[in-house]
Amino acid sequence: MTKFSFDRKAFWAGFRDVIPLAVPGIPFGFVLGVVIAESGLDQFVAWLSSPIVLAGASQLAAIELLAESTSAAVVLVTVAFINSRHLMYSAVLRPTFSGFPRWFKIVGPYVLLDQAFALAITQPNDTDDRTRMWHFLGSGAFLWLMWMTSTGAGVAVGDIIKPEWQLSFAVPLLFGGLMVISITNRAGIIAAVVGGIVAVLGTDLPQGSGVLLAIVLGVAAGGFAETHLEAAPEATS
Amino acid sequence: MSLLLTILAAGAITYATRASFIIAADRVALPASIERSLKYVAPAAFAAIAAPPTLGGDQFVEFSDDIPRIIAVLLAGVVIAKTRSVPLSLFTGMSALWLILWIS
Repeated sequence: MTKFSFDRKAFWAGFRDVIPLAVPGIPFGFVLGVVIAESGLDQFVAWLSSPIVLAGASQLAAIELLAESTSAAVVLVTVAFINSRHLMYSAVLRPTFSGFPRWFKIVGPYVLLDQAFALAITQPNDTDDRTRMWHFLGSGAFLWLMWMTSTGAGVAVGDIIKPEWQLSFAVPLLFGGLMVISITNRAGIIAAVVGGIVAVLGTDLPQGSGVLLAIVLGVAAGGFAETHLEAAPEATS
Repeated sequence: MSLLLTILAAGAITYATRASFIIAADRVALPASIERSLKYVAPAAFAAIAAPPTLGGDQFVEFSDDIPRIIAVLLAGVVIAKTRSVPLSLFTGMSALWLILWIS
């Protein structure tokens, strides 16, 4: 048995653990499917954005722009801005994944969705590398399946989820909760407050650049606060 | 065809953002101050994703429209802070929103 051989238990644990985080994405997948179906674009090719891009918010923006015959350059800049947060996820996970096999470093990032990131950074510190790697891949497998089926169902079945049900609210609810879990000290609170405020103020910034600005300023504020609050006792462990 | 090419390019860009630091792993070294600040990516990013749809962004003119969602998010936040349970916080938040919208 090699160091990173298949760990069935960890894989299925990841598959199961991500379910509560994945479920709020299902109504969003449906909505994206409906937008694809009504876009006037080739439905199958537009749906291929699910396996090819695998990032909901950027897919939604891209399909809407493509439906308006926006130039490819504008579409790609928009996608790059919206997904730039993954660049930071990648930087955060770099030390964790650094000893993992080469094939994982190529395959793993494909399923580095927000939820897979949230789950990966909340694994217990004493988790060994093999468990960590297969747990991540298990969570990615479920997220992938969920995204293919929910967007596909949206295209095929159409608009059966009514806006009055407010199901789309599950997404901010989920990430609000993940935010609370991810805060471990007072500087984390400052990072979250700055990130949230800038994101709201930056909603109208072009090409979805508001989210990038929000995260960059939030992280900077967190780092700054940590330096200046260092002498003070931490709010929690 | 150009649609497929655009989507393929979008996929390549997205993959590049996700893979960049993980593939480069030991060949890049970030300044210590940035490395230290990276632990604030999660709180800042999750807040940036959660806040606009809660506060309506540019879709809602009236602040009063946001109040049911703000109450629901706060309740869910308290639940997750106490229990660390994502399903329980989602259940609380959605129930609270439905209840407030139903009675108001």
